Amino acid sequence: MKMISFMLNGIQQHWDVPEGETLLTSLRKEGYFGVKFGGCEKGECGACTVLLDGKPVNSCSILTVQVDGRNVQTIEGLGVHPDQGWKKTAGLHPIQQALVESGAIQCGYCTPAFALAAKSLLERNPDPSEEEVREAIAGVLCRCTGYLKPVQAILKAASRLRGEEDEEEAFEGESLTPLPVDWPSIEPERGRGPSPAEDGGKQTLVLPRKIVYMPRMVVTPEARQKVLSKIGKPELKVDAIKLVQGKPAFAADIEKRGMLIAKVLHSPVAHARIKHIDVSKARTLPGVAAVLTYKDIPRVVYSTAGQSDPIPGPLDTFSLDSKVRFVGDRVAFVAAETEEIAEQALKLIEVEYEPLPAILDARDAMKEGAPIIHDEPEYVNFAESDPRKNLAAQIRIDIGDVEKGFREADRIFEAEYLVPKVQQAHIEPHVVVTYWDEDDRLVIRTSTQVPFHVRRILAPVLGLPVKRIRVIKPRIGGGFGGKQEVLIEDVAAHLTIATGRPVLYEYTREEEFIAARSRHPMRIHMKTGVKLDGTITANEMRVLSDTGAYGCHGLTVTGNTGHKSMALYVGDGPYRKSPNIRFYADVVYTNTPPAGAYRGYGVPQGFWPVERHMERISRELGLDPIAFRLKNAIREGELHPFSTAWSEGREPRPEIIQTVGLEECVNQGKALIGWDQKYGNPDWHKVEGKPYLRRGIGVALVMQGTAIPYLDMGGASIKMNDDGSFNLLVGATDLGTGSDTVLAQMAAEVLGVPVEDILVYSSDTDFTPFDKGAYASSTTYISGAAVVKAAEEVAEKIKKRAARMIKERFGATEVTPDEIILEDRKAIAPGGNYVTLAEVALNSLHHTDQEQIMGIGFHFSPVSPPPFAAQFAEVTVDIETGQVTVDRLVMAVDSGVIVNPLTASGQIEGGMTQALGYAVCEEMVYDQQGRAREKDLVDYHIFRANEMPQLETIFIQTYEPSHPFGVKAVAEIPMDGVAPAVGNAVLDACGADILDNPITPEKVWRALKKRPSGSEN
Amino acid sequence: MDKEYFRPKTVSEADYLFSSGEKRCIPLGGGTVLSRSKLEGVCLVDLRDLGLDRLDLTGQKLSIGATVTLQQLIESDSIPPQLKDVVRRTASLNVRNQATIGGYIVSAGGRSPLAIALMAMDALLVWHPTEEKQSIGDWFTLRQPAGYWINSVQINLNANLSYQQVARTPMDQPLIAVAICRWKSGRIRVAVGGFGTAPLLAVDGPMEQGILEAVDNALCSSGDDWATAEYRREAGVVLARRILSETER
Repeated sequence: MKMISFMLNGIQQHWDVPEGETLLTSLRKEGYFGVKFGGCEKGECGACTVLLDGKPVNSCSILTVQVDGRNVQTIEGLGVHPDQGWKKTAGLHPIQQALVESGAIQCGYCTPAFALAAKSLLERNPDPSEEEVREAIAGVLCRCTGYLKPVQAILKAASRLRGEEDEEEAFEGESLTPLPVDWPSIEPERGRGPSPAEDGGKQTLVLPRKIVYMPRMVVTPEARQKVLSKIGKPELKVDAIKLVQGKPAFAADIEKRGMLIAKVLHSPVAHARIKHIDVSKARTLPGVAAVLTYKDIPRVVYSTAGQSDPIPGPLDTFSLDSKVRFVGDRVAFVAAETEEIAEQALKLIEVEYEPLPAILDARDAMKEGAPIIHDEPEYVNFAESDPRKNLAAQIRIDIGDVEKGFREADRIFEAEYLVPKVQQAHIEPHVVVTYWDEDDRLVIRTSTQVPFHVRRILAPVLGLPVKRIRVIKPRIGGGFGGKQEVLIEDVAAHLTIATGRPVLYEYTREEEFIAARSRHPMRIHMKTGVKLDGTITANEMRVLSDTGAYGCHGLTVTGNTGHKSMALYVGDGPYRKSPNIRFYADVVYTNTPPAGAYRGYGVPQGFWPVERHMERISRELGLDPIAFRLKNAIREGELHPFSTAWSEGREPRPEIIQTVGLEECVNQGKALIGWDQKYGNPDWHKVEGKPYLRRGIGVALVMQGTAIPYLDMGGASIKMNDDGSFNLLVGATDLGTGSDTVLAQMAAEVLGVPVEDILVYSSDTDFTPFDKGAYASSTTYISGAAVVKAAEEVAEKIKKRAARMIKERFGATEVTPDEIILEDRKAIAPGGNYVTLAEVALNSLHHTDQEQIMGIGFHFSPVSPPPFAAQFAEVTVDIETGQVTVDRLVMAVDSGVIVNPLTASGQIEGGMTQALGYAVCEEMVYDQQGRAREKDLVDYHIFRANEMPQLETIFIQTYEPSHPFGVKAVAEIPMDGVAPAVGNAVLDACGADILDNPITPEKVWRALKKRPSGSEN
Repeated sequence: MDKEYFRPKTVSEADYLFSSGEKRCIPLGGGTVLSRSKLEGVCLVDLRDLGLDRLDLTGQKLSIGATVTLQQLIESDSIPPQLKDVVRRTASLNVRNQATIGGYIVSAGGRSPLAIALMAMDALLVWHPTEEKQSIGDWFTLRQPAGYWINSVQINLNANLSYQQVARTPMDQPLIAVAICRWKSGRIRVAVGGFGTAPLLAVDGPMEQGILEAVDNALCSSGDDWATAEYRREAGVVLARRILSETER
């Protein structure tokens, strides 16, 4: 131990610290939870940023003793909530204020780091350029935002700190004016919008010469008819102020007396039986509280997939087993007083493995004589799963007469495409804290998207009834599907049961790569019959999907690959009425880390081959690629072709698609990116002075879904407080998407109050109603409808009481509840007499016919209305080295009504950025022993702020009639089109035809060598 | 964690720690690597207070103190813009604010842009207390310290550096990188990287002839999980050719 003295947030500190301890660890031990743990080993994520002598550094990569005599600042020293009762405060720092206002906060895990990096920059450079801002925050990785809004926020803060007045907000009143359908092509500067004069005087958004904070919006007449006060407004996120202060909002931001640290011994081999395991030395190490192996805990088979009951997949997993099935699989659990002791204990566990032949290539899984990965007798099949064939799931769907369709085609196009395994890479790793409460109930505080599924699935695994488990979901530092998995909660829970003590288990970044879930890699064969006029007569997709060592989500992810991507192109003419579509898939086990849910849920895997294939067909036939797509695309009022064939392993039921804004998406997107000026224009494709560079432009059309019909259910309850505010309790889990905010907006809309009067709490299995969780693009649509129903029930009670109160107070003629409107925190009768909601609340709780005004609502949907989108990409390709630079991404989304343009556009920008990684750099590769090549965020590169292309979003607001406010989903669809649009742009640029993403320089270089002469632009 | 930490105030105090032989002493720069190291039973000697955080320009010779951070290089007027750009590619601002040139060189691998550039510039490592000057190429080849710690890194500014790389994204690690340094005397030094444990020297000679062939040769065995040698050879030659033609202009 060493005594050090240093300044922390302006206060002299004297700490006695272990000499080998990092500053991150010391700060968190002392309760500075605004400094976040990203699990990385090389300081690559920056979530732990602090200012050291005014400069941003990673506190995970510096010893605490090194700061002796220096000045450290954390987010806790920046600004505070402006309203603290009688105490006057300076409030938030202008940087924090700007981050809140600009929609720059999604999950909020990296927000303190952005704020500190920005502070350091603006103190040195009060008037930075956008490029300088991007450089300043490039040490902080964000997986949610796409960096656009944080950059805008910092520029806004800089302007305010210079004493400049805010420029006119883009989003005020008239700024919602719909754009004409023939919106002219505009070329705004990066981050800046056109002045009114620049748009030819047409009716456009009010975008004066200022930073653009809002997405472009196009409103269809149906959507325009609804005049709403809260829906469609850029309300501040309800959780933004706490996140920007770095409050202890996340799962690990908790102190429990006697809390143990858990670690897991992971398998070093891909496939083996544990012949012998000796933990005696580890158990006797001082400070070790428990060591568990498969011999110590009940053998209960289950699935880690966080899905509704019954889980649509095989039960093939044990908490611990006598067999390991991938490098990274679990061998033993340890709980110890410190992380160092736990790690030491892992080294003392002696394991003798009996190696078994491993399957590392999905093509080998079903071969005769292949090793059986799941030979356990407890295995529970689901549908066509067959462990003897290493088959986790199988899908066979024939719609129409596919063979007849092929016979009627003039041309048949066939090709095989590959999509890689990729990681969700949320910046907050998987993390859980477990403990027994005073009632001897097990509390699981976990960063999960599915708290109710966690409770239900773990109960038998732990030998506890559901009612003795309470799952608390605090804030989530990003999930993207990775936390739709009951992945590590059982580890901590078993150790709490074994020791009786609280246990914290937090994945390192390496564990995220070797022992978490990922996107299913797939090998996809496309066969398409087309007439020479471009009519698709039959379309077939055959998929070999690699689920890894366990079958979690294997069936449903792969099913969605076909269900969404193969539904988009039904054909034209008679084929439109009776499409011919085939989707066959084998989902096989291999000895690689399991795949699982990842934003998009199988659909990005489908649209890579479909949209690359469509591009190639249109070029081969000499057709305009966009016209060819639109000719065959599904249209409003048509049957979703898969709705009668497949529904996530449940009974399919027919579904008519009510809203399709695809053509509008194409029109608006084309105009914004300047498609007509660039596509087919040889001059545009050349780069002056650089003969080895070629520009290219590409497009992909995509569709997704909105929730799982007849299955996904969300509940909400609302109660009124003395002051007329409301507690909204939802089981829905905001994983950074802003769902708590949009749910509050919906409640506020119905109840006639500002959003700040809606206090959202999510989620806790003891207190909040059931919700299936955050997945399948369902929260705004399903949970939102539940909130509306609950709010309507509350509104009805308020109106009833208000009518009586108004009559009593004003002696007016009879007022019926139906005539009352709720607005501005008042219940207003025709003629203007009113009572305030606070008066109604006091009346109901204290004065007359006392009652608790509250309501509950729940919702499930018979339909899953698809959002549609047109994704455009511009690239520059170095035709000598194959290097691809993505210059610009434009996405036009048929979104339904947008509840909050800030949070929604943040979803699109962040999604496009993740998808950009899928396009050009992200992949998980294994060697011949099944060992991962990528174990950190250096080798697994995700985009940083200082290398981003220009991102632009357009919302085409259709009105989806199946939702009270006309909404559809936007959360997943931005994952679908970027990779194929970039692939198509690369083809357009130089003729390099890449069939497997990511599009790396060497692949382009090889493709260029293979291209037919004369195919280059 | 069994680690000891000392921050000597004087060079002689530091010398004593290293020379006493009681403990295995390791010099500590910014700590970006050693703070997370699993090394046990070691004594980390923080060089921060030894006055090694200065850049000294004598004529065309720039001496960079071992604890100068990478960000100091970017902010220094003495560093040529081409080298600043390489430093910027090497690490993000958070890391640059902390990582020192000495620590960086000791831990750099073949995919480190600055290491490739310094190899082309024929940087010299000046070791303490021996004052021995070790070429960076020797360091990368042998990884044998010629003293207790690197006191400074010397580069000559009378040479022009050019650096080009190919990567999956603009700020990703290079798959192939070529750095060429030309001295007014006509000397040309070419380093390649983007693979392996250290940059490779392809050329050090007085003439341009044969440079492309030399780059091609240097990349013969460069294949790894990230790119094939076939690709790197061709792309490397392309980059080298571009640099040569640009510097000619």
